[in-house]
Amino acid sequence: MERLVFDVAALVAIVFAGLMVIGRDPVKSVLALVVSFFALAAGYVLLLAPFIAALQVIVYAGAILVLFLFVLMLLNVGRERPDGMRRPIQMVLGSLAVLLFAGLLLGMFRATSGKIPFLARPLSEGELADPAALARLLFSEYLLHFEAVSVLLLAALIGAFVLARREDA
Amino acid sequence: MTAVDWIVIVLRVALPALVLPVFVIPLTWLERRGAAFIQDRPGPNRVGPFGLAQAVADMLKMFNKEAVIPATADRMLFLLAPAVAVFAALSTFAIVPYSSSIEIAGKHVPMIGADISIGILYLFAITSLSVYAIVLAGWASDNKFALMGGIRSSAQIISYELAMTTAVAGVVLAASSFHLSDVVEMQQGTWLGFIPRWNVFPQFFGFVVFFVAAFAETNRLPFDLPEAEPELVAGYHTEYSAMRFGAFQMAEYVNVMVASAVTTTLYFGGWSLPGFHPTGVLGAILSLLVFMAKSFFFVCVFIWVRWTLPRFRYDQLMRIGWKALLPLALANLIWVAALETFRMPVR
Repeated sequence: MERLVFDVAALVAIVFAGLMVIGRDPVKSVLALVVSFFALAAGYVLLLAPFIAALQVIVYAGAILVLFLFVLMLLNVGRERPDGMRRPIQMVLGSLAVLLFAGLLLGMFRATSGKIPFLARPLSEGELADPAALARLLFSEYLLHFEAVSVLLLAALIGAFVLARREDA
Repeated sequence: MTAVDWIVIVLRVALPALVLPVFVIPLTWLERRGAAFIQDRPGPNRVGPFGLAQAVADMLKMFNKEAVIPATADRMLFLLAPAVAVFAALSTFAIVPYSSSIEIAGKHVPMIGADISIGILYLFAITSLSVYAIVLAGWASDNKFALMGGIRSSAQIISYELAMTTAVAGVVLAASSFHLSDVVEMQQGTWLGFIPRWNVFPQFFGFVVFFVAAFAETNRLPFDLPEAEPELVAGYHTEYSAMRFGAFQMAEYVNVMVASAVTTTLYFGGWSLPGFHPTGVLGAILSLLVFMAKSFFFVCVFIWVRWTLPRFRYDQLMRIGWKALLPLALANLIWVAALETFRMPVR
């Protein structure tokens, strides 16, 4: 049963991520991404991390993508033209990027023989299930990472503000 | 699956999921009679006793009208939007404890759809889904008024969700739990023997922020800018007719009921009353009645406010959300944190 739910969720996530990339209509691309995120959230629930799943839906599907949609609708972005958009150089560079990424992934898996190397120690089962335990972990063991990410996000926010600001304002 | 399991499923899942849509019918009647009372006119009073059957007649009418899909609309998304609206509205109630727990065949059965560890966060996750219903309806209709409604709605809901979640963070902090059942639990008993230990007393401003934001989240007056009829015809549901329009109306009323139920649970002790210790089935029924009475009060406030206050201008709406509600919610959060530190020093 769990396996079935995982397979369905993974399939939905991948298919809709693909639709997001292929789609010509920006609004529909965003919606495909929303479905993909919901499927990812289902995956988190199966990993016994319902808190992460809730955050995934609230932050990504609920806030960030609504903002995307808001901007798309406000600017009334039309369908992408299917012809004349792809120059040969784009195809070459795109293929190179894909190859590079695939090589990177493969190399990573070989180097770590499939185990995830990012954690200082393997998490026990309850630690992601309980929001309080997760918070304790976040504010003790991973405090430095947490604060570093918050500074990074702040820098991005200020950067966006500086870039988008009008000169005369 | 034994018979007991089936009873549990019916009580915990099917009953609330089926009862909420049924309550929509008297609620529309209540809204129209309430509006008429406030505006000093009779209101619908001809069909059935006190005009009660008017709501049923309207529903039958909705089902029999022609359902038009505009030629230039995006068919799939146009049909999907009302379904998402109803789905999101009905599934939010799952985490609200609506009565005290009972024992069935030696099993302890809490009266709540799903007592999950993320509790109130689930509510916010589903609420964020309901934004898509409005945005999709606005976009798929291919109508400028509908699109304007969709755009307004997305900006409005993001702005007010922030204040709302910050206000609720105070309650979560006080209860040290996301479970709404724990939130009800901590509000039992009294202070000084006569003040109920309801969250509304220590967190009055949190309650104010939450309740005001609830009006914005349910798109009710004075925050119904997504469907402001003097400017936008009917906003995001301009192009919807028959029961598809009815689905949006139904979602709105279910949202009003859920918002009232959640307000009751978070700030007014849920199904509990001071000095009332429910046991067994009779206790569960009594506490369900207490819960419904409290929620009904807030539903009435929703109706009362709708027919009393004029609509805000869009810039006023944004100013209230960001410059009044959010700072108030943050101040409330700091206040609760200070209280908790005083009450229970950091271990």
